[in-house]
Amino acid sequence: MAAELLRESYEIQGRNFDKAGEISSEIKSLLGGLGLDAAAVRRTVIVAFEAEMNVVMYARRGTLTVILTDEDIDLEVRDEGPGIPDVGLAMQEGYSTASDEMREMGFGFGMGLPNMKKNADAFRIETEVGKGTSVLATIRLNSHV
Amino acid sequence: MSELTHGFKIGVEKCDGRMHCMRACPTHAIRVKGGKARVIPELCIDCGNCLAVCPTGAITATTLPFTALDKFKFKVVVASPALFAQFGPNVTPAQVGRALLDLGFDAVWEYAVDIELIDRAISKTIRNWPGPFPLISNSCPVVVRLVQVAYPAMVDQVISVDAPREIAARELKRRFAEEKNLKPEEIAAVYITPCQAKTISIIQPAEGVSSHLDGTVAIKEIYNDILFRIQRNAGRENGGASFLAIGELFHWGTPEGEFPHLLREHYLPLTGLQDVIKVFDDIEKGKLRNIEFLECHACPGGCIGGNLTVENIYAARSKLLRLSAALPRPSAGFEAEVARRCATEDLSLRGPLKPRRLGGDAFDLRERVLRKKRADELMKGLPGLNCGLCGAPSCRHHAEDVAAGWADVSDCVFLSRTRIDRLRRIYVRGEAADGRDVPTGGGEGSSKGDSHGG
Repeated sequence: MAAELLRESYEIQGRNFDKAGEISSEIKSLLGGLGLDAAAVRRTVIVAFEAEMNVVMYARRGTLTVILTDEDIDLEVRDEGPGIPDVGLAMQEGYSTASDEMREMGFGFGMGLPNMKKNADAFRIETEVGKGTSVLATIRLNSHV
Repeated sequence: MSELTHGFKIGVEKCDGRMHCMRACPTHAIRVKGGKARVIPELCIDCGNCLAVCPTGAITATTLPFTALDKFKFKVVVASPALFAQFGPNVTPAQVGRALLDLGFDAVWEYAVDIELIDRAISKTIRNWPGPFPLISNSCPVVVRLVQVAYPAMVDQVISVDAPREIAARELKRRFAEEKNLKPEEIAAVYITPCQAKTISIIQPAEGVSSHLDGTVAIKEIYNDILFRIQRNAGRENGGASFLAIGELFHWGTPEGEFPHLLREHYLPLTGLQDVIKVFDDIEKGKLRNIEFLECHACPGGCIGGNLTVENIYAARSKLLRLSAALPRPSAGFEAEVARRCATEDLSLRGPLKPRRLGGDAFDLRERVLRKKRADELMKGLPGLNCGLCGAPSCRHHAEDVAAGWADVSDCVFLSRTRIDRLRRIYVRGEAADGRDVPTGGGEGSSKGDSHGG
């Protein structure tokens, strides 16, 4: 079991497009400041940004937790939202339930979840309709010596 | 790694420690301790903000001495298009070229060909690039260094096509060596530069190779000499010098201007370091994926806004627009030369661009996490005012410096009275410098000359 070195949690406010992306920025400076492998940081930030946007678009609120171990970066995103009725469908590129309004803002092209999966080394969704969704992603550190 | 050469030096004697530079530095590379500013070399990206704001003239630009060019038998000018924007509306590029020859240069290079070549190479690279997008232009050395220091994950997105000034220098040495029967090392390629950063990119290219250029002359440095000769030549016959067509000297679609071959909706020109940083932050999050190419310049307004130019950027831009509107169609000779070189030259960047190694990387991850936690803890005890009196640009930077062992937490004036006394000795001159309380208006002992308004 990898030793946990650092854990930080952030609150995400649903429907607040104004602030959307700020938590990903904080995670970027947190991990970048630690001098972690640049490619791993990049992938983590992309996953965090997509996750943050999903919470902002669909949920009332959520939390994003970053856990750094000496082997990887784990992201846990838990929201109080509508849940996903068909995860398999949601994972397909281009499938989206976003409103026109969201699309006008440049979001909701059905790339969010697939893109998160693509950038993570391990990826899992736990969801319950009417309650919420949790996304768990792991990005391995290639070199951190 | 060899020691980093930087575009700017802080003269210790002249430095009054007024912290303007520390506050203006975009990468937070400056600390002011003991009343003197110093640079953390790994963080400096040669932008020149510090030079522009220093109130005492303590910061000087690194230049290549002009006399160093004396050893060359044949000196060729490669002029940044920004040069032609510096002179009044009726001065032609050919007149500027003539003046450069009068100043003692042996030839003025037809730089428009190189710019066209690089423009095409960039368009081709973009078409064949598998991703990730966007690609980032590399003609501005400050932008390249910014990526190396602050966006290490994006180094592969900096386009690996060489700068036009570099391929110009390589080709002119080949050509004149052949034409004049000289050795390439007897020929100097001299870049007329709008900014300090280009000089540094010649002394120490970011990609770790050695430059084909041999020196630079600042536009500012040569402006008066050119102007004088243009005026003197104006009365003479053939003063305009028809030795070159305008199109061969000046090119509007340029890596120092704009890219006419790229589709507008996939191409974003950015100028000004603050805006470049904002957009890079968005890219890092995975935004802007539909943009294929970012043309980035650290100076607001692009190279015509460089710190070594003379004309204000608005007048210079108006002049550039005027020149480009008057540009003739490319001559058959120009097209033939572009085609010939396109077929024979390798225009790719000669070395890979790597992230710059920063001091903290030397320690293992556990130690770095410990330092971060220590810094977080220290932050709780700092005022969060970012006053800078500790000598770091913000409380956060002070906390990090302390955690790294570079600074003493008591450098914060809120945590230590003796720090104020020390600062008073450094910064306050005259009577108050001895540390006694200065009488204030209204209280006893207030002198008549005291002008406190109350």
